[in-house]
Amino acid sequence: MINLAQKDVKHTLGKFLVTAMGVGMLLGIVLIMMGVYRGMMVDAEVLLDDIKADLWVVQEDTLGPFAEASRIHEDLKDTIRVIDGIKSAEALTFQNIQLPQKPKPVRVVAVGYDPFGTVNPINPERLVAGHGLTKDHYQIVVSDKTGFKVGDTIHLVRNDYHVVGVTHGSVSSGADPLVYVSLKDAQELQFSYTNNRIRSDRARGFKNSEATMVNTIVARVKPGYDVDAVAQDIRRFKHKSVYTAAQQKTILTKNLVERASKQIGMFTAILIVVSTIIIALIIYTMTLEKMKEITIMKLVGIPNSMIIKMIAQETLLLGFLAFIFGNIFSHLIYSKFPKRVVLLIPDAWTLFIVVIIASILASLVGIRKVIKADPASAIGG
Amino acid sequence: MENVAIKVENLVKHFGQGDSLVRVIEGADFQVNKGELVALVAPSGAGKTTLLMMIGCVEEPTGGAIWLGEEKVYDNKWLTKEQRKIRREKIGFIFQAHYLIPFLNVIENVTLIPQTNGVLEKEAKKIAMELLEYFAIADKAKAMSSQLSGGQNQRVAIARALANKPQIILADEPTAALDSKRSVDVVKMLKKIATEQDVAVIMVTHDEAMLPLCDRILTIEEKKVVSKEVSEETAIL
Repeated sequence: MINLAQKDVKHTLGKFLVTAMGVGMLLGIVLIMMGVYRGMMVDAEVLLDDIKADLWVVQEDTLGPFAEASRIHEDLKDTIRVIDGIKSAEALTFQNIQLPQKPKPVRVVAVGYDPFGTVNPINPERLVAGHGLTKDHYQIVVSDKTGFKVGDTIHLVRNDYHVVGVTHGSVSSGADPLVYVSLKDAQELQFSYTNNRIRSDRARGFKNSEATMVNTIVARVKPGYDVDAVAQDIRRFKHKSVYTAAQQKTILTKNLVERASKQIGMFTAILIVVSTIIIALIIYTMTLEKMKEITIMKLVGIPNSMIIKMIAQETLLLGFLAFIFGNIFSHLIYSKFPKRVVLLIPDAWTLFIVVIIASILASLVGIRKVIKADPASAIGG
Repeated sequence: MENVAIKVENLVKHFGQGDSLVRVIEGADFQVNKGELVALVAPSGAGKTTLLMMIGCVEEPTGGAIWLGEEKVYDNKWLTKEQRKIRREKIGFIFQAHYLIPFLNVIENVTLIPQTNGVLEKEAKKIAMELLEYFAIADKAKAMSSQLSGGQNQRVAIARALANKPQIILADEPTAALDSKRSVDVVKMLKKIATEQDVAVIMVTHDEAMLPLCDRILTIEEKKVVSKEVSEETAIL
């Protein structure tokens, strides 16, 4: 039996492929949008996963340190360390700074930690050159996205910092590259003022008591202890907000990323609707172009089912090819995006199902045209 | 009745209603025998194509009765819901232009209807090749219609119309797009088919030069179908 769709596609192969490529690029953008969303979720969890803390102790009644500002005293770590069930506790700071780089400064998030402490936020797997911090002062580990290399010197506020390590893939929840400095340097960067400001503060009777503040104390719990119970103890006795790793992850993904992800979700949904409409328009136009042949076929007795099968098969083939081209297109361009784009196979399959459903819906437009076509119109004009 | 391929009784066709009612055919009675080539001649707008479409089970009449061979297909209403099957199995259509399916090659165009009727691909191809050889275009079996001349395409179209071994061929001005020599060739071919294959052919034509090649002439006069013999005067033309 002659397959009409196969014959028609073969007859207009070039046009069909170009059309599929066009729709494919649209689908590729849908995949990229999904990848941007996935990338945001991954970025949001990089720091949490690298620090591997069981508990996050922050300023009371805040969602710190990522979703809200949090300031607590550094020495709180000593108090937390003696709480039953705590294995280790360390202070961390997080602050946005600009690294002087040409042609323009690079915005980064600086993580301050104790190089001799028990919590190292630098994931060794991300370290691509050099090493972690080995001194209390004037060393810095940078992300490769900053453009600095091991051995470079970076001038920040009053001091020069030597780049001793370079990481890859370490970003903040907002996708800014991470740099790591010692806790003491971080506090100095955060709270060191100009001489004029210091004189002015003294004249007002202000004391710079903030230099020992940190943004969070992270703690690890001994094996066998219930993390939630230990967290409850800290809340009760230290009057601080305490979040488990899972809660902190929820804060990051729900409070920080959710709105942005909804935005992307809306764009993705709109793009899918647009793709469906475009496929429907293409199929409608392709059907209109064949209207004379379709009426002739109906006139000579070819059943509707054969003609409808042709339209449906062409639509599905168009959707399938567009999906293939979309995947190729997205894999070719995703690395060019400034922020992380994560292309997942399950997302591609989800899109495939959506495209097939969209193609079936789109083919209905052409099929309706076929059913309504009057075979008598084939003759006499 | 055995020799009758088409029989029409008191056939009526109106378009519209009320003030806009147009009476096209008012009580047509005629029959066409097997093996007969009949020309349908009338001025433009007289209802030739409408009559052809009613016989071809495409356009529904307003009233009357139609027999195709032994089967009564219309008696003030369609007597079957499968008019398309009747067309596919009993009728061959030939148009002004060839109207071949452009994305099918010659042999695919010819085998499409037999295969739809359930004839196996191999058998359908055998029938098609015989027809293409008959029309001297077997060497073009794999060609697309865009690669053929007008006359060749029209021969393929006739082969397509014959591929389902029809009892009736309805040809709507099949020579309109051809020059006079090719027109004569096509009509002679239709005459040969009618005679050799015992097929009834109704051919709408405006070309008087084709009339002497026909067995009989049907005209539409005052909304009725009138049968005329090919006169000696016409035959000389």
